[in-house]
Amino acid sequence: MMDDLEKQIKEALAKKEPSPFFEARVLGAVKRQQKEHRASSRLWWASAMAAMLLAITGSVWQHERNVREEAAGKEAKARLELALKITSVKLQRISRKVEGI
Amino acid sequence: MPGQAVGTETDADNPGPRTFAGVLRAQQSMVFSIAYHFLRDRSAAEEVAQDVFLQLHRRFEDLKSDEHISYWLRKVASHRCIDYVRKQKSQAAVRLDDVPTPSVDGEPQDHFLNRRLQSLIGSLPEKPRMVMILRYQEDLMPEEIASVMDMPVRTVKSHLQRSLAMLREKIDRSMGEIR
Repeated sequence: MMDDLEKQIKEALAKKEPSPFFEARVLGAVKRQQKEHRASSRLWWASAMAAMLLAITGSVWQHERNVREEAAGKEAKARLELALKITSVKLQRISRKVEGI
Repeated sequence: MPGQAVGTETDADNPGPRTFAGVLRAQQSMVFSIAYHFLRDRSAAEEVAQDVFLQLHRRFEDLKSDEHISYWLRKVASHRCIDYVRKQKSQAAVRLDDVPTPSVDGEPQDHFLNRRLQSLIGSLPEKPRMVMILRYQEDLMPEEIASVMDMPVRTVKSHLQRSLAMLREKIDRSMGEIR
């Protein structure tokens, strides 16, 4: 049961109306918020796509580099084998000459 | 959900699905009044109320009933008001004893009393002030206030009792001075 003071407090705290433009202002802010959300979503997707593209480009580039390095390694190995064969033949010739002396 | 429609001008005539614009129209007075009685500043109250409704718009799809929306709005408005005041700490808090007694010349007794009560309630510490607003503006029971404010029921009752006793004493003193 409310006493007089409580009734008076209730009256003092009666609901008030905001300014007449409040509703329109909130709806405007909501629209701005939606626009910003859409813009940030687009930015997020663009960033995600750019990151994905970068990752794919990076991995392709890395793969090509590996292939190039492997080919260069094989070529170097073949040259080394050839050089060793030539050296071996020359050594055999020298050895035969030394034995003939 | 931020992508949803904000409603149309015909919400009031058409009792179809609930729209954000319809809820805004129906609840703006409640949210604004909580903020206004707490902050005692119209522009600050509108700023807080707008933030509350923007937050509501983001959560609108999650809130299933009108009761849930009202509860959610009271809760968010209460907490936002308290946060707002805490952020404005640089401004000197108005101490209870500093609250001026308005002049009564030419003012009806009830008007004077209302303004005095508003000043006194506005000078209460944050949580007791919000408890008083929820009790006497929103007619909430202590159990409901406890839920909105995330505090024990006995704390709500204690805030109410102490605030009422203080207001009674201050008002009696003011009336004595006037007489």
